[in-house]
Amino acid sequence: MTVILQAKNIEKYYGNKNNLTRALAGISFDIEAGEYVGVMGASGSGKTTLLNCVSTIDTVTAGHILIGGRDITEMRAETLAAFRRKALGFIFQDFNLLDTLTAYENIALALTILKTPPGEIDRRVLEMADILGIVGILPQYPYQMSGGQKQRVAGARAMITNPTLILADEPTGALDSKSARTLLESLQRLVRERGATILMVTHDAFSASYCDRIMFIQDGKLFYQLVRGSDNRKLFFDKIIEVISLLGGDSHDVA
Amino acid sequence: MMSPSLALRNVKKSLRDYGVYFLTLTFGVCIFYIFNSLESQQIVMELTSRQAAALRTLDKMMGIFSVFISCILGFLIIYANRFLIRRRQKEFGIYMILGMGKWQISRILVLETVLVGAISLFTGLLLGVFLSQGMAMVTAKLMGAAIGRLRFVFSPAALRSTIFCFGLTFILVLIFNVGMIQRQKLIDLIYADRKNEGFKVPRLTLSVALFLLSLLCLGAAYAIMLLFGLPMANVILLAAVALGTVGTFLFFFSLSGFFLRLLRQNKGLYLKNLNMFVLRQINSKINTAYVSMTFVCLMLFLSICALSSGVGLAGALAGETRRNAPFDASLTVQAPPAGIDPARVALEKGVDLDAFAKEYLTLQYYDVGVKIPLNTGEHAVEAPIYFLKLSDYNALLSRQGLPPLVLGPEEYAISSNLPKEWPAAVRDYMAGDSGLTINGVQLRTSPARLEESPLVTSAYWAFELTGIARDQSLTAADLPVIKSALHINYPQAGEPYETLCLNALSSLELTAANGSRLNPSLETKARVLEGSNSTTTTVAYLAIYLGIIFLLASATVLSIAQLSETSDNIRRYGLLRQIGTDEKMINGALFAQILIYFGVPLFLALIHSLVGLKVGNDLIRLVGDKDIWSSGLFAAAVILLIYGGYFLATYWSSKNMLKKE
Repeated sequence: MTVILQAKNIEKYYGNKNNLTRALAGISFDIEAGEYVGVMGASGSGKTTLLNCVSTIDTVTAGHILIGGRDITEMRAETLAAFRRKALGFIFQDFNLLDTLTAYENIALALTILKTPPGEIDRRVLEMADILGIVGILPQYPYQMSGGQKQRVAGARAMITNPTLILADEPTGALDSKSARTLLESLQRLVRERGATILMVTHDAFSASYCDRIMFIQDGKLFYQLVRGSDNRKLFFDKIIEVISLLGGDSHDVA
Repeated sequence: MMSPSLALRNVKKSLRDYGVYFLTLTFGVCIFYIFNSLESQQIVMELTSRQAAALRTLDKMMGIFSVFISCILGFLIIYANRFLIRRRQKEFGIYMILGMGKWQISRILVLETVLVGAISLFTGLLLGVFLSQGMAMVTAKLMGAAIGRLRFVFSPAALRSTIFCFGLTFILVLIFNVGMIQRQKLIDLIYADRKNEGFKVPRLTLSVALFLLSLLCLGAAYAIMLLFGLPMANVILLAAVALGTVGTFLFFFSLSGFFLRLLRQNKGLYLKNLNMFVLRQINSKINTAYVSMTFVCLMLFLSICALSSGVGLAGALAGETRRNAPFDASLTVQAPPAGIDPARVALEKGVDLDAFAKEYLTLQYYDVGVKIPLNTGEHAVEAPIYFLKLSDYNALLSRQGLPPLVLGPEEYAISSNLPKEWPAAVRDYMAGDSGLTINGVQLRTSPARLEESPLVTSAYWAFELTGIARDQSLTAADLPVIKSALHINYPQAGEPYETLCLNALSSLELTAANGSRLNPSLETKARVLEGSNSTTTTVAYLAIYLGIIFLLASATVLSIAQLSETSDNIRRYGLLRQIGTDEKMINGALFAQILIYFGVPLFLALIHSLVGLKVGNDLIRLVGDKDIWSSGLFAAAVILLIYGGYFLATYWSSKNMLKKE
């Protein structure tokens, strides 16, 4: 298996000399192609900082991050924007769809900014919509859709460019449990059928139980890893809950 | 006390947001002051009593119009202010959460308003005082007055009325702002940026039908204007204006829906870069923006017409000044057959020419007994042609600071400054010239030999041509002299010399060789210019004044609308950035969006103006032969400067707004 994401001892400090916060205190991990990895941790554990650093929205203080073999910590600002739109896909907690565009156009937008030939766009949008079960809502505007539909449109937008890595930040955070389940199943299908690689930050054990592997983060360090292996989802879920109670603190966060 | 420092910090911090507000205020104050300071500008001019009276009338007219103008400016300032306040609602919400009372917030806002008002008032006045110095020169030129001693022009009256009008506006703004704060609910302030509009897209068939209807209305309005021309019956004019307005309104109303569908058919264009995003952006707002678009378009139309006609009138005036009054005074007398030298006669009679003449020049016109047929297609006449010696003509040119004319031995030139379509007729004749014979020598001419410099100061056009030939062609023959002229330039323009000259020469008795009394005609530059100029100047100034104000108004309305839209769109642009859109592409989309908003109303306004100016041109040509199209160029420059300035300011402010987040 090829390694898609390689984090080498990354550190991130905030603040000044007198008041230093170590958000990431030297984390190293690899993610392989086709993996569905979850990141869990209490509030303030550094999981969002980690995602921001990986997604090139924030920069690391020390260490290196390699995505598809390219070191993003060494890239300049212009290259980063280009890298972001070519190699990464984003799914946000609050969907971040453009309310002026229809679902179809929101998905197509990811391709048009890559200057994809228009003839190709139509075919690819329909194909992606089919996988995520949103063909019926393509002509609708975001305000006409449910939260789950919006998030699947966002997923389609993230996936359509065939990014090396999809980054999801609490994608089920704003969804009810039924919509969350549909979305998570869709993401799982993306991984199985299209070979997508997903890094998902969540504090919700139910969402996490759809992953192949969970990384637990505490105080900016990799605290524990849980691999699903051949467990079914229910068993994996129980194991996650166990780790969370070990971690203590925010266990009441768990659904 | 913390409010003043907080207010000062707020103004500094939001200087960029305040940009358009400042611009509008400063421009407004500046223009207002300039046009109200007309009367005091006369200290640098040497005016006759009639000119002074005319200037007073002009000033009074400006005063009356300024009431109307200040209403427009007041509206603009309040409109611009509303945008600023809206943008800061969340900030006020935070003050309130921190426990600040409504009155305390109001006080901060009052201080800010006063601060911004004071700064822009000061800047505007400074600019106005500075620019009004140049304005005095222009006014003098248009009124045909001489410029006397250069002095600093300052008008306390204009200052007072400017401060009064804008002070009143600021008070209105204050009341509005305080009222807004008092009425607000905390919850609305906090969630001010979360309010989302729903979008409704009109049905395609409706859009197309309305679009066609709008074209029909506009076409009908154009047809009426072109067919009837000005002046036309009020009822017809009213119908044309109504049709034009409705057509414009429907055009913008239907445009977005229609245009979007059309473009969506073209996948290649629609699915390229951020085109889709830009079109949707515009579509989402044009549904609500068509009213302001219509307003802006009509304002621009008025502005273009007013500016072009105003400048055209002014240009026609200035042109005629040059054409009709090359000398301070001209005395002409028909004295065949031997001519007369009026200067010599005057000197013999004890007139002290040097008392009022810096220089004088006597010319003799020779009659060669030729008439020239001129045909304009409409009119055909036989114009007499009298000849001047080349040396005399060149002396005349050099007095006007013009280069001398060079003629070959078998050449002659024709001088004519007939108006309108006549020069073309003269050229036609010259092109087909078969030559004329003077003293047995055949002389030829060509259209290149048409001279258009004025020869005499006169209030009207004389229907005759002047030929110019080398001296020996004329003197060798014993040609009869038909006319003599004495041209005088004063040492300095102005009243004392004018009076001396009129007294000395109007009573000068001239007698012909046969003893009969002659009837000399005496014209002075001042008299020629006084005639119609003051009324026309008034109209021209009003037109320019209104034109600039309308332009300012439309640019401000557009700019504010765009800025507030950008501030609504910060989230959308942020999202584009998040998914990795190129910064260049984002700026391009922003540019395109603002360009379309500024460009579309301007485009339609330009088409309106083509028709409007075509009609107006015929009207202007009644006053002078100057074409309105060339002054349209000047109007275009003014529009480019102000409208373009606002466009760029809007783009930059918007870009900064997006960058800040």
